Amino acid sequence: MFEITPEPLDPGPLVDAVRRDESGAVVLFYGVARNENLGRKVLWLEYDAYAEMATKKMREVAEEVRARFPVTGVGILHRTGRLEIGEASLLVAVSSGHRKEAFEACHFAVDRIKQIVPVWKKEVFEGGEEWIEGHVPGVGDRGQGTGDSV
Amino acid sequence: MDVNVRLFAGLHQMVGKREITLDVPDGATVRDLRERLGSVYPVTEAFLPTLVCAVGEEYVPSDYVLREGDMVALIPPVSGG
Repeated sequence: MFEITPEPLDPGPLVDAVRRDESGAVVLFYGVARNENLGRKVLWLEYDAYAEMATKKMREVAEEVRARFPVTGVGILHRTGRLEIGEASLLVAVSSGHRKEAFEACHFAVDRIKQIVPVWKKEVFEGGEEWIEGHVPGVGDRGQGTGDSV
Repeated sequence: MDVNVRLFAGLHQMVGKREITLDVPDGATVRDLRERLGSVYPVTEAFLPTLVCAVGEEYVPSDYVLREGDMVALIPPVSGG
């Protein structure tokens, strides 16, 4: 399951999608809108995305995960539009036979998402707003794996 | 030749359009396209050095040669998550 959506993110179907009977662990990462950044009081966030490419890059992240870790499933959801403080912007679920690999693979997946998936965050804070500039994606930033993704 | 260019995030907000068409010479590269954007929309000039391009939903280098009708996306530094 890989989606860019303006709707609130629901972890239930994502966990179901990545769990296999061989899975002994599912690690679920929630990225949530925080009320401060760089000493500024953040009022809300807005996310923009190049949805078609973002979905493709999320699948490539999953392929990279599968090439590096013995996981049984990977799924990623990213929300767009306006998010209030406390709402989830990103959900990443990874399942594996045992917890250690699931934790490590989920951590890796979140880092790669922040590097290569074309999604952008605008902070609206007291006194202004700013599109946050994060990582400049490299030309070689494409999936290296061979396995099928969930 | 005409190249279709998609804009996102801060660039979208600055230019006020989600998609524009830029006229560039035959054989123009991604680097040339960025310069053209800056001359047509001077407000974007400060942001040009950090822009990466995607063609066909894949990141391409600055010396990538564009073709008529290419759908190009200008990708500011990403900040998802």
